[in-house]
Amino acid sequence: MLKITNLHKTYPNGVVALKDINIEVKEKEFLVVIGLSGSGKSTLLKCINKLHHITSGKVFFKGQEISSLGGSQMRAIQARMGMIFQHFNLIERKSALTNVLTGALHQTSVIKSILELFSDEQKEKALEMLDIVGLKNKAHQRVDNLSGGQKQRVAIARALMQSPSVLLADEPVASLDPATSHSIMDYLRKVNEELGVTIVCNLHFLSLVREYATRVIALKDGELIFEGSPEKIDEEWFKKIYGEKAKEVFIK
Amino acid sequence: MKKFKYFIFDSLLWFYTVLSIYKVIYQKLILGVRYLEYGNQDFLISLGAGIILALFFSNLRNYSILNGFSKKQDTSLLKRPYFILFLFILFITFINGVHFSQLSLKEFFSQTGIEGAQRIFLALLQPNFSILGESLSAAVETIFMAFMATTLAIPFSFLLSFVAAKNLTRGSFFFKSVYSIARFFLNATRSIEPLVWAIIFSVWVGIGPFSGMLALCLHSIASLSKLYSEQIENIDEGPLDAIRSTGAHPIQVVWFGVVPQILLPFLSFTIYRWDINVRMATVIGLVGGGGIGTMLMQYQGTARWNEVGMLIIIIALIVWAMDATSSKIREKIK
Repeated sequence: MLKITNLHKTYPNGVVALKDINIEVKEKEFLVVIGLSGSGKSTLLKCINKLHHITSGKVFFKGQEISSLGGSQMRAIQARMGMIFQHFNLIERKSALTNVLTGALHQTSVIKSILELFSDEQKEKALEMLDIVGLKNKAHQRVDNLSGGQKQRVAIARALMQSPSVLLADEPVASLDPATSHSIMDYLRKVNEELGVTIVCNLHFLSLVREYATRVIALKDGELIFEGSPEKIDEEWFKKIYGEKAKEVFIK
Repeated sequence: MKKFKYFIFDSLLWFYTVLSIYKVIYQKLILGVRYLEYGNQDFLISLGAGIILALFFSNLRNYSILNGFSKKQDTSLLKRPYFILFLFILFITFINGVHFSQLSLKEFFSQTGIEGAQRIFLALLQPNFSILGESLSAAVETIFMAFMATTLAIPFSFLLSFVAAKNLTRGSFFFKSVYSIARFFLNATRSIEPLVWAIIFSVWVGIGPFSGMLALCLHSIASLSKLYSEQIENIDEGPLDAIRSTGAHPIQVVWFGVVPQILLPFLSFTIYRWDINVRMATVIGLVGGGGIGTMLMQYQGTARWNEVGMLIIIIALIVWAMDATSSKIREKIK
């Protein structure tokens, strides 16, 4: 469903973030990307949904080459990919419902959205999405009153509002406590298994990777160095990915 | 090239030192010349001396005064080359300052001067209350002048601030040039005092509140846009990324990603600006901008100090009231 060939990304300041990446993401899989901070995980996700420009290489989405698209064509593709972030990136001063409704901006005209004239169907759908993440009762609360875990669930609902075929998750649990992390990962699994949304997720903790991933890839200094099932990451691979001195931390 | 620049800098500094020593210290203080006159030959001789000194000293230790300040040398301040010279230049600059501002204790404590000041202060303390109504209506004029200037400035500043914010305009060459033009316009407008704008507008639309309002409005647009755009540059860019990733139109990205984050600071700045405008409107009245300032100007010109005293009391009350209200409101909406 997603195919990335010979992807290179160099930032304007000269930092080379990704070197010759070739990946294929299969329909309905839960793909986890691991690697040290700065290994290019976030950049990879942002290159997939065009938040970043690609220096060279190609990205195919459902067989369509999307890396050269711009303007409204690019936005149409972005609308089919949901994304959630480490710091949730919600509009803090607005209600959970309004935040979820921003997932429908692509289907709404500029004028209507500025006046916040979302249709009844859109509002109903947004409530449904909040129900999926168990926050229907918080729909009219301002987001800045919610806890970290609840914010991330609102963010998941916002991404689901796009009816995405793929959900990109950039360190979704890195700023949450262990128990909440598991709950968020469970929601992602639910989205993956029950709604059939393909998931590409950056993670730090290997214990989470082993529990949730159906397939893993590892990046090191912008290069792809591992690809396979989570069970294949043994001591030796671990040291290769995270460096000789690294020690595994378990999250329960 | 760098060496040449340093040489120019050194020469000018030496030129300034020589000229000050010769004219202010030698002629004024030592010879006691009453009125200093600057002839062409004074400048030429000092300039020549400056160049010679700069050449001599920069070759002596092979560096200019400018590198003397660099922190690379790990020596104490006093041992740094030219530090003594630097202190000396500071000293003669102070002497120059005293000379040029004509600072004089004799004038300050002179008998006739103090008597004159006493006369004014006494009159100010006995304000003429018969002009109360007249001056209050002028004060109302001033407040509304400031209010209109602020209100009219808001939409312009709001729109301008988005194109004058660096983080929203780095996309394409087109936006970068719009950013540069907007910044240039804002800086140019802001660098001209509203007092000067008021003079220009009073020629354009005639003396009165309208010209003062226009001057304040123009100045408010420039300062508000600058404050607004700085606020935009400080926002959290996370929500922008998130909205963008939903495939939203750029206008929607700004509306949902930027606007909710900046609305309250904008409101706070605007109220503060109104407060400033009321105070400025008084000053602008002095050059024909209407309101209480113009009235103040007329009474002051005819030396009617009791009336001036009345006006000053009213101005002080307005300034105090505006200041108190605006800080209260700004605290509440934080």
